[in-house]
Amino acid sequence: MKSPFFYLLAIITLGLLAWGTYQALDVAPAEATMGDAQRIFYYHVPAATAASILFLANFVASIWFLWKRSPVADAIAVTGAEVGVVFFGVVLVSGPIWARYAWGTFWVWDARLTTSLILWLLYVSYLILRSSSETGSTSVLAAALAVFAAIDMPIVYMANRWFRTSHPQPMIGTDRLDPAMQKVLLWNMLAFCLFALLIAWFRFDLERTSQKINLLHIQKASKGAIAVVMPAVFLFIDPVREHMLQHRYMVFGYVAVWTIYIGYMLYLFAKLRRLHREADELEMT
Amino acid sequence: MSQSLIKLTAEQVGKDLRLEWRSRDVLNSMLFFALLVVVIFSFAFSPTLEESRRMAGGLVWTAFLFSTVMALNQSWARELRNGVLDAYRVSPAPPEALFFGKCIGNYLLVLLLECLMAPLFMVFYNLTSVGPYWQLAVVFLLGTWALVVNGTFFAAMSIRTRNRELMLPLLLLPISIPAVVAMVTGTTLILTGESSPLTQIKFLGGYCVIFTTACYLLFETVLNAE
Repeated sequence: MKSPFFYLLAIITLGLLAWGTYQALDVAPAEATMGDAQRIFYYHVPAATAASILFLANFVASIWFLWKRSPVADAIAVTGAEVGVVFFGVVLVSGPIWARYAWGTFWVWDARLTTSLILWLLYVSYLILRSSSETGSTSVLAAALAVFAAIDMPIVYMANRWFRTSHPQPMIGTDRLDPAMQKVLLWNMLAFCLFALLIAWFRFDLERTSQKINLLHIQKASKGAIAVVMPAVFLFIDPVREHMLQHRYMVFGYVAVWTIYIGYMLYLFAKLRRLHREADELEMT
Repeated sequence: MSQSLIKLTAEQVGKDLRLEWRSRDVLNSMLFFALLVVVIFSFAFSPTLEESRRMAGGLVWTAFLFSTVMALNQSWARELRNGVLDAYRVSPAPPEALFFGKCIGNYLLVLLLECLMAPLFMVFYNLTSVGPYWQLAVVFLLGTWALVVNGTFFAAMSIRTRNRELMLPLLLLPISIPAVVAMVTGTTLILTGESSPLTQIKFLGGYCVIFTTACYLLFETVLNAE
């Protein structure tokens, strides 16, 4: 990482994640019927927001790439899709954990759930295409698919609204939200969006690095990765609660979500080491 | 220019159909595959008349969707042999003519398959439609175009990947989900006669227009991707 802003961002994000988690676990009032299980909400919704922004970035960057063929645009596109898929994976895992408690079932083929799943599938197929197309044509084919995926999204949304309306609607509505809860949600929204930005930044740098295979970049980027993984450690501290069942859902949710985040970051580390070795073999300085 | 586009497209369609007529390998394998799906489904569910009306929409389209994927994989593989595709790329002919030629050829092939399979479905599942048959025809004409236009485009994309035949369904199915939902609900509504499928037909029409335009605009980029 060239920029000291990355480290500044890492420190701010770490602080905000800790603050947001403290707010979510301790300050926010317990929900009347769902109790602690409802606290999944505080990282479910922010992850969805972050993922939506990342997918939008993927679309804009893909158009930019088709127009100018800039490698920077390609790096942004792959970053947006990959980090977006991870954050949306968090949404799709934490949602059902909450739903099991609130609705009594993990999954309902409801409009919003179906739309989310298809959105996730579209970007997974984008990543599969990237990983298996012939060298050289990857970026162009992926950019074309990204445009199709972005066109498809509003259509998927409408299709589900029109043809599947018999299913129950999700219970999320901000007008029904307690102001104290809303404040906590906004803190977490900020924290997780910055967290997404941080990881995306790291991933983007990795992509640029892999585009250039430059040893100097790799060494500096590896330092940044430690700063990314650190905040995760805070979140496994077990707060004492009265309602054990709800509490279990909450803890389970946190463990599942952070397993995804940390797993992804470990994947990035592995990629980094591979690039490192490759650069060594090429004797780049 | 536009006249040469139409002429070249027609040439392309003629060539594809002639090749298919002489070899008949795609149509035969598609037909047999769709037939197998029909038989396996009937073993799996063994529905009554009322049930089969509710299920048939999903069943028919599942069978056609997978047979279409099979046909589309073959259609571009043919062009790879002897470097035909590369020859096309260096020729001054517009790439859109190649795309629409392929597309129309595949469309006619899949429509023929549907015409042959429809009576079989009627017989095996004891089906009669409560709603008017012409609506069924409209849903099938639009739905098949929706599948084929995107399918031809993504088949052109997937022949450029390492695992060619595997790639097409992975790319095509997520994009086609809204169209499949509309086709299936539309067909079910007509078969059961519960309500008018006008929304679904409009939706399919919109889907076809949007994605035909997108394919038209992006095909040259994909064909020449380097």
